[in-house]
Amino acid sequence: MIRFEDVSVTYRGGVQALRGLDLTIEDGEFIVIVGLSGAGKSTLLRALNGLVPATGGSITVDDTEVVGASAAELRTLRSQIGMIFQTFNLVNRTSVLNNVLMGRLGTVPAWRSTLGLWPADDRERAMQALERVGIVEKAYVRASNLSGGQQQRVGIARALVQEPSVMLADEPVASLDPVTSRQVMSDLQRINRDLGITTIVNLHYLDLAREFGSRLVGLRDGVLVFDGDIADVDDDTFMEIYGRAIRDDDLVGAEDDLT
Amino acid sequence: MTATHTPSTVPRPSPPTGVRRRRALIALALVIGGAWSLTGLDITLARVLGAPADVWDIFKQLWPPAMDEALDRGVVGKVFESVYIAWIGTIIGAILSLPLAFLAATNVAPRWIRIPVRQLFNAIRAVPELIVAVIFIPITGLGPWAGTLAIGLHSVGTLGKWATEAIEGVDTGPLEAIEATGGRWVSGMRWGILPQIMPIVASFWLFRFEINVRASAVLGMIGAGGVGAELVSQLMFRNFPAVGAVLGITVLVVLTIDTMSATVRRRIIAGAARTSGPDLDADRNAEALADLTGFRR
Amino acid sequence: MSEGGIARPVRPRPRLRTLGITAGLLAFTVFAAREVKFAISTFWEVWKNPLWEKFWPVPWDWVLDRSNVIDPFVETFQIAILATIIGCGLALPISFAMSRLTTPNRPTYLVTRSVMNVVRAVPDLFWAKLLVTAVGIGAFAGTWALSVFSLAVMVKLFSETIDNADPRPLEAARATGSRHLPAIRIGVLPTVLPEYVAYALYVFELNIRASIVLGLVGAGGIGRVLEAQRQFFRFDRVLGMLIIVFVVVFVIEQVSVAIRKRLV
Repeated sequence: MIRFEDVSVTYRGGVQALRGLDLTIEDGEFIVIVGLSGAGKSTLLRALNGLVPATGGSITVDDTEVVGASAAELRTLRSQIGMIFQTFNLVNRTSVLNNVLMGRLGTVPAWRSTLGLWPADDRERAMQALERVGIVEKAYVRASNLSGGQQQRVGIARALVQEPSVMLADEPVASLDPVTSRQVMSDLQRINRDLGITTIVNLHYLDLAREFGSRLVGLRDGVLVFDGDIADVDDDTFMEIYGRAIRDDDLVGAEDDLT
Repeated sequence: MTATHTPSTVPRPSPPTGVRRRRALIALALVIGGAWSLTGLDITLARVLGAPADVWDIFKQLWPPAMDEALDRGVVGKVFESVYIAWIGTIIGAILSLPLAFLAATNVAPRWIRIPVRQLFNAIRAVPELIVAVIFIPITGLGPWAGTLAIGLHSVGTLGKWATEAIEGVDTGPLEAIEATGGRWVSGMRWGILPQIMPIVASFWLFRFEINVRASAVLGMIGAGGVGAELVSQLMFRNFPAVGAVLGITVLVVLTIDTMSATVRRRIIAGAARTSGPDLDADRNAEALADLTGFRR
Repeated sequence: MSEGGIARPVRPRPRLRTLGITAGLLAFTVFAAREVKFAISTFWEVWKNPLWEKFWPVPWDWVLDRSNVIDPFVETFQIAILATIIGCGLALPISFAMSRLTTPNRPTYLVTRSVMNVVRAVPDLFWAKLLVTAVGIGAFAGTWALSVFSLAVMVKLFSETIDNADPRPLEAARATGSRHLPAIRIGVLPTVLPEYVAYALYVFELNIRASIVLGLVGAGGIGRVLEAQRQFFRFDRVLGMLIIVFVVVFVIEQVSVAIRKRLV
């Protein structure tokens, strides 16, 4: 269980990205967070694994307190939380397999990973993760030679190989075309159902949120303005979250070219 | 995950062997090259282990520096002499290189003159100023003028090359306009090209000046004026506190000039539209850095 | 004059500050020129010097004799190889320590950065001379000196490359709970390794060239022979050696440039 209690994040420049956020997430949930860019979606995810330190309140993952945790505690926590990024964040000049093995960095002894001497069972885990996202045949290909959709699958495999209990996805489809976006979203959904990993996805596209989410959280200017079942969501709800009418670019659309 | 894993129907690829073999080859080459060099230079373990102590013996005597003695001997004046040498050398290099650069640029000069001028730049860059000075000293005699000439001539190579690149990066529209009015080649260069390249070329001159300050300090070691001679004689007398003072003053002046010059260069560049691409810049940076540290291209 | 009724602008006068700076620089230049004993006549008188005859003809027999030039040149190669291995090897960890992106903490960053700045501010042959005094005349001192400067060049070039490397894979590595060192090894090193190899080759080129002058202060290699012949005023031999050196340097440069182009 993940619990945010009165969490606020203020960046060094004085920008308040989150204000007094309260949120409780049960194990195995699939949550979609929507909001305009700058509403605090990314900050929320990064506060959860400590990449961005919360400046107030309390965040607990299971029984671990994130706010004020030591470096070692944070490392342990992060090794149990997978993260997927908008821009994939792969190491372009190395193989897909090495990228996936990055997910084991939190558990493999530092000297082994530094020298590239990965334990055999970690290699096996990486291969299995690649099989799960369906690109095992690309294992020894350079990451830069893959298409955007394939790169994001490597990103998912990297998170999977951590064998996480929580998966964070920060705008995972914002750099992809509509068709690939749906594939990646359904990958995430399948993983959530098959493995029971708590999944939190930031999305900008409202139609995708409706299609794949079960619970929806709306953020506006760092404040939680909606939290409820996706079935209860209508256009007025989105109006409330976005503070304006829905536009075409808030929808991924069916065949639109959004690259 | 292993528990819930369903076997995939796609066969797994086997790891490529090329990368590993190449890495092994590189490692082998390094080991063999290193071993060959070690034996050839007669570097034994005893010498390697003994050297840090020898070096430390000397380095610890550099501190505290004998500032009073150095000031009495006029070391500051010697350092400034190095700066004067660098300054005049840079001006000589700038004056000689600028017209030549116009003759070397692909977009403004004809082929028959371009090729020889470029080769001249390359040849000049290949000869270190120290070697130029070695040749000049018997002719002009010992002293700062030999060093100034050496620096001036050597600077022509890099300054000419950089200015050529700047010219090649300009917008040729103004040049066309001048040609359309019936202007001569020289007026095209003067009014069409020069105003565009002047800021960046001026910043190259300053950059070269920074490099030349170090170079002229070194030139003193073979008697071409400046602080180098002072370092050599103090080392010969094994007067290490004085050596420390000479080094300290030199580093101080060098770093001060670097900082001042870099500030001015930034202002010049910020005040002018950029005239060359970023990849060119990276290349030049590497080259100039090599020069800064005394290695010449 | 009053056509259109608008007065013509007055030509702007140069600002006082600009005038002041120009005058100051001019005065400095005149003063410096006097200090260095500037004599423009040298530019034409230099060609009349009888010394030039001593440069010709090149005694190829002497130059191509094994013990005169070839052996010291091999020594130069060995110095350059060792210095490149040592300097570039040490530069790898130090560069990561002094890049904003990958430094373990701020004190390490500041200390490595300022130490390397001072090392670079001391001219190369000053180092060579210091080390010759410390460990004795010869190739051993030369290897030391070139290693120091391979390190200084490499660290500057490579740490800037790391600064500009993509920070996002590093964030991804941190998000998996990685320690600092493996995160750099996996997240950053692969992206900058080709540049590292290219710079190492470049440093090797520089080392070969630098060793020409190292011998002038007693640090071994071909420069030692150069210095000896110069002192005997055998400029014909000096010229012959220089020709050999530049041909070899040119060939190495072409090969190295070709490899570097393929790498990056």
